[in-house]
Amino acid sequence: MEKMILKKKNLPEFVEKALKEYRVIAPTDNEGIIVFKEITNPSEMMLNYANTRIPAKSVLLQQTETLFTFSQGKTVAVTSPEVNDKTLIVGLRPCDAQSLAILDHVFGGDYSDPYVEKRENTILVGLTCLNPEITCFCTSTGGGPSCAEYTDVQLTDIGENYYVEVVTDKGKTLTERASGLFAPAAEADERKKKELEEKAQNAITRTMHTDGIAEKLEEIFESPFWRKIALKCLGCAACTYVCPTCHCFDMQDETAGTRGARIRVWDSCMYPEYTVHASGHNPRPERMNRVRNRVYHKFNYFPKNCNVIACVGCGRGIEVCPVNVDIIDVIDKAREVNL
Amino acid sequence: MVNTDELRKTAKEIVEREDVKYVIGYEKGTYGCRISPSFAFSPEDADKFVFSPLCVQNLAVYPLLEEKLPLKRGEEEDMRKVGIVVKGCDSRAVAQIFQEKGLDREDVILIGVCCTGVIDLKKLATQFPEPLEGLEVTEENGNFVLTANGITKTIPKEELLLRTCIHCENPTPVVYDVLLGEEVAPSKEDYQKVKELEEKSLEEKWEYWEKKFERCIRCYACRNVCPLCYCKECMVDHLSPQWVRRSVNLSENAAWNIMRAFHLAGRCIGCGACEQACPVDIPLMEINKKLEKDMKELFDYEAATEEEKSLLTMFKPDDPGEFIL
Repeated sequence: MEKMILKKKNLPEFVEKALKEYRVIAPTDNEGIIVFKEITNPSEMMLNYANTRIPAKSVLLQQTETLFTFSQGKTVAVTSPEVNDKTLIVGLRPCDAQSLAILDHVFGGDYSDPYVEKRENTILVGLTCLNPEITCFCTSTGGGPSCAEYTDVQLTDIGENYYVEVVTDKGKTLTERASGLFAPAAEADERKKKELEEKAQNAITRTMHTDGIAEKLEEIFESPFWRKIALKCLGCAACTYVCPTCHCFDMQDETAGTRGARIRVWDSCMYPEYTVHASGHNPRPERMNRVRNRVYHKFNYFPKNCNVIACVGCGRGIEVCPVNVDIIDVIDKAREVNL
Repeated sequence: MVNTDELRKTAKEIVEREDVKYVIGYEKGTYGCRISPSFAFSPEDADKFVFSPLCVQNLAVYPLLEEKLPLKRGEEEDMRKVGIVVKGCDSRAVAQIFQEKGLDREDVILIGVCCTGVIDLKKLATQFPEPLEGLEVTEENGNFVLTANGITKTIPKEELLLRTCIHCENPTPVVYDVLLGEEVAPSKEDYQKVKELEEKSLEEKWEYWEKKFERCIRCYACRNVCPLCYCKECMVDHLSPQWVRRSVNLSENAAWNIMRAFHLAGRCIGCGACEQACPVDIPLMEINKKLEKDMKELFDYEAATEEEKSLLTMFKPDDPGEFIL
């Protein structure tokens, strides 16, 4: 792995250069809410944030995506949207980068989902998380505030400069195009990075114990515990929509006159409608069934199918829940359930 | 302030009654200064109950959120009552639901708590960015005295209160079976923010709301947290006809938020739960307060009052009907 430094004041120039070739997506500030958005100017970037409210999945699995449009006259014409441009996501946190590696399992199956091509065309420039939030627990889910495993290039703010780790070939190509802006990292830079990294690690106060959780859940599916856990859940979709690994979607044809589009939109397993059959029967009739399903999907089904827990410890779901349904608490308590 | 021992004692007495299923109150949350709704099925469970200005949730949402499955043969419906701890605004929500016949007075036992206003957790986070384990909140001369991590800060209440609490007209519950704490003098709503917005031009108003609706993710936390949003099927979930499309864009988001506000016209009791729950900070109470103001001015009507019927189900022969051509 190549280690370099980039002067902080040169980041705009780096982004400027990238803008000529890539669609650049970066955290932006919408009245205090930080969200990923396509930028046309480096000044739109907002890099002083703990985490974005909406995760980076929103770039590759957009909340609303047009799969194709159609029009109906004497004949029916179907048009697919153009193939995606080369994209650069700047400033995503390690947890979000890790979440994309998890989503790869979902969309990279036998059928080519639009996600796959977009993912291939996307370069991730990560940003080490120096001030984790009270809800963060990424160190429990195989990541860490400075984890560079899932990004192509990882930046760490070490004061005047960014410490730059070039992780993949994609990252190498990107940095080589702007090689004039980078300088080799000195030992002092590395020391500084290590020091900040450790501080960030220690700032993470919450822990989730995930050892053997898939097996434990296997035993307690029928436990009344789930009813108890779900009592306070309101059944909204806030946790699923801010979750970087939740990926369920719905498809609809939206028409106006003779024209229309087939769209796919995020859907949530917390809604009763999500599982309701055409007959009216709902196999998950109560909130208990739905809450349990969400926990099982992340901590049992996913580990069984893909050998990885579908949670990256970003803490967003914990933070946005209006009634303090807390996944760490749920998992901790699930471990203690005796049948 | 409500005495915790008294609250727990009351809740225990209620939960022990044979005609009571459970009592819903508040307990310490799972991290920081968060408070969580708490369901007590036994007197021991009620030992966890707390009440403080951090108890932001409106628990009146729960009775109608319970999903009732079809009864099995020979099974009888559990008709036992539910106990709920209600602040002033929460009690108004229950009163409004009674008026709409969503719940029967006999369905619930209300533990009214006199409320001096709850803290906006988003404002608190800007004052105390660090984790607040074991935060203690007391009140002194119009200030909140906050103690956490060995540090004590005194902050004027207005700087921390939830916006809707600053001019609360019903700090003391309007309907209850037991009342705890001392009655609190009501304030007067001045609709300052609504008036500011009313003065803007149409373009300026749109510009103001555009940025806000643009970031709506349609998670419906506002709806699900709202005690008055209890339709069996929400209009936004209906597929045929589809009143609001599933596409998440400015146009549909605006339609959703405005339609929801209309459905709450004359019904919203102003607790601010929607605004507090919104993960993208859309100031929903500004719309709800506008409608509340209009209802007062146009129809001399307020939600959850002694009226026999709610405004939109009422007909008056002497209605001037000036808006009808």
